[in-house]
Amino acid sequence: MGKISLIIKRRECMGCHACEVACKQEHNLPTGPRLIRVIEKAPDFIPVYCHHCANAPCMESCPEKAIYKNELGMVLIKEELCIGCMACVEACPFGAMQFFEEQNVAVKCDLCIHRISEGQGPACASVCPTRCIIFGDTKGLLDRMGAR
Amino acid sequence: MSEIKKVRTVCRSCHGGCGVIVHVKDGKAVKVEGDPESPISRGSLCSKGLSILQLAYHPERILHPLKKVDGNWKRVSWNEALDITVENLNRVIKEYGPESVVIGQGTGRDYESHLYRFANLLGTPNVLTAGHMCYVSRVGATLITCGNLPVADYRGNPRCIVMWACNPLWTNPDEYKGIDFWDAYKKGAKLIVIDPRKGFLAKKADLWLQLRPGTDGALAIGFLKVIIEENLYDRDFVENYIHGWGPFKERILGHSLEWVEEVTWVKRDLIVQAARMYANTKPAAIHWGVPTEQTINCTDCTRLLTALMAITGNLDSPGGNVFYVPPNVRKVSDFALHKELGERAKKRLGGEQYKLASRVALITPKVAWEAILTGKPYPLKAGLLCGTNPVVTRANAREVYEALKRLEFLVVIDFFMTPTAELAHLFLPAATWLEVNHVADNWKRHGFVLARQKAVEIGEAWQDHKIFMELGKRMGQMWWDTVEDALDYILEPAGLTWEEFKRIGYLQGQMEYYKYREKGFSTPTGKVELYSTILEKWGRDPLPKYTEPPESPLSRPDLLKRYPYILNAGLRTPTFFHSANRQIPWLREIRPHPIVEIHPETAQKEGIEEGMWVWIESTRGKVRLKAKLNEGIHPKVVVAEHGWWFPEIKDPGHGWEISNINILTDNSHESMDPVMGATNIRVLLCNISPCKEV
Repeated sequence: MGKISLIIKRRECMGCHACEVACKQEHNLPTGPRLIRVIEKAPDFIPVYCHHCANAPCMESCPEKAIYKNELGMVLIKEELCIGCMACVEACPFGAMQFFEEQNVAVKCDLCIHRISEGQGPACASVCPTRCIIFGDTKGLLDRMGAR
Repeated sequence: MSEIKKVRTVCRSCHGGCGVIVHVKDGKAVKVEGDPESPISRGSLCSKGLSILQLAYHPERILHPLKKVDGNWKRVSWNEALDITVENLNRVIKEYGPESVVIGQGTGRDYESHLYRFANLLGTPNVLTAGHMCYVSRVGATLITCGNLPVADYRGNPRCIVMWACNPLWTNPDEYKGIDFWDAYKKGAKLIVIDPRKGFLAKKADLWLQLRPGTDGALAIGFLKVIIEENLYDRDFVENYIHGWGPFKERILGHSLEWVEEVTWVKRDLIVQAARMYANTKPAAIHWGVPTEQTINCTDCTRLLTALMAITGNLDSPGGNVFYVPPNVRKVSDFALHKELGERAKKRLGGEQYKLASRVALITPKVAWEAILTGKPYPLKAGLLCGTNPVVTRANAREVYEALKRLEFLVVIDFFMTPTAELAHLFLPAATWLEVNHVADNWKRHGFVLARQKAVEIGEAWQDHKIFMELGKRMGQMWWDTVEDALDYILEPAGLTWEEFKRIGYLQGQMEYYKYREKGFSTPTGKVELYSTILEKWGRDPLPKYTEPPESPLSRPDLLKRYPYILNAGLRTPTFFHSANRQIPWLREIRPHPIVEIHPETAQKEGIEEGMWVWIESTRGKVRLKAKLNEGIHPKVVVAEHGWWFPEIKDPGHGWEISNINILTDNSHESMDPVMGATNIRVLLCNISPCKEV
């Protein structure tokens, strides 16, 4: 399997927030950390989410090397190594890195890695009514987006 | 470790009917996900449905009956609660007659059939619902015009879609989910959006008509005028299937496009362009939303839009606006036993005045509040309100509050202790859709029934259907032994039992188009009555017209100095369903505050900044909401969310007066639709100012 990515077609996001709640439920998160978020700047909607950057600033900023990249190109965090310094939260240019105060750790989008192993896409993409959250192997996605 | 059991069911966090798979472990629901095999939602699920576990297992949810003793709530058994209810209802019936009991529901948790059966067998014609200004009003107006509700036929591939005052992907979608709309749009259908607010769809539209709130009827007249004058209508249909074409045509042509532009604020070129696009693109569907109903023009506007569908030949044609064929199950109206009411129907409050409301078996709330407060024409003494929070959701909230306080006996069925429930003498805990067995969506006109089946049981909550059944049985009414026995009765014509239906999941009616060619339309003349013989018989104008809302810049210029802005008091948002969900953490995090949208220029002029608390004041009072600047609305219009109260405020009012936009709305008889009693909540005059007190 090649590298995989998640892309949100911003112009087709209509701000229903279903992705946010699906993500919360999937990751059992309370209020506070929002791994995916849609900001309403009427009349536009701006999805904020982890891009799993090629050169991820969060990963580079982490003094404990708690953030790493797996073979599928997913940027993941080992929460047990996190010391809660929040350097990654500050480093992320998208505002996607989140801090879970109750547990004093950084948390981030893991592309629902547990679902992928079961052949499902991320929870956010599964519920989107306009199907503007697309997911799959990076090369194919870029072809589909016509963005190469 | 115990296994996860998956239960396939149907959401009811709005009217939706989206398919859901519930994961259950050790008798507890642990996860919900969209059902990819649902014919309605095809896997999508909204924020409300996805939050159901936070609602169902909310620490403040009430899971056993409560009675009020010396101002405090005290836990009682179901047995005692039912006894108290029956005793009080019987006392009132004996002293004042059954019509002195009002039965109310909000937008409903799909128990209309059972609620109406209970009311009809009790003998009260006074059923108070949201239907006077939401959906049922549209059904009523189309029943008298063309015999049924015409629904946009997305499955028939419309090539042009007119989204008239609706944003179905964002908020509640009545008959159809936004999914079908979106697919039709993505297949390349042209899109015309009619909305005072530039929402997501307005941005996507080929043409966006930003009309002045409340003037939809006038805009429809503009469309009709262009289509008639330019001979863009379907001659064959008009000649054979329209009643009253001559006088209707004359009425429409009596308006000039200059007048339409002046009234609607939409440039006449744009009206011409949109009307041509709608009339020349076949097939074309109109998808309408509640703002067309929530003004004095409710019935007329529905009739004008029906006229557009009819004269363009789009009625009951594939991809147009169709009458879906329901599956062969017992209808809600049959189950509800409306006929049992007999002569008592004549006692329906406001029945003489609001004849269309009476035709669809409901009362406008105003007549209930009047009867409670004045005893005229006769007193209402007891109330049973199920899943409704009228203190927050009905026009003229202060009158609602005063009226409900005066009832001798009020029982409320709900999940949480709402401001309305706090006024009750008895509270009965209702089941959420996770805890319900029902043949769902039977009341809708989209051609499906769906199996909503119980995934879990929580506390002592009962599904609403069971509450009506058990109350009814104690009052000597004819019901069934169990909820499921009643479902067998509903399913009997299909030759199925509930157990069998559960496994199938849904039934769909066999669609037939152009049914009128064989059977005509179900109206007195058998035609589409643009000239309504029924309205004529009622002594009303048989032709549709546009009436200026009674509190608008045109009708009340004298108020403009003090109240210079048009208040649209009905913004719906994706996370909340009317007054519901304010206590759900995931949803409240997304929309923590009540919002009023203001154009940036207007905000600047009034000294208001983004995020600031703002006073909104009408002649009837003032409330505060938080400013959100939106350049997609007209500078003279402000748009406020409705349904706000604050569960986190623990006193019995729960902050119902703070941001409740219905404190500002009007429910005077003069302001309502003359035959339906629809309240006007889309056009008022207001002023806005920074709120420095908070």
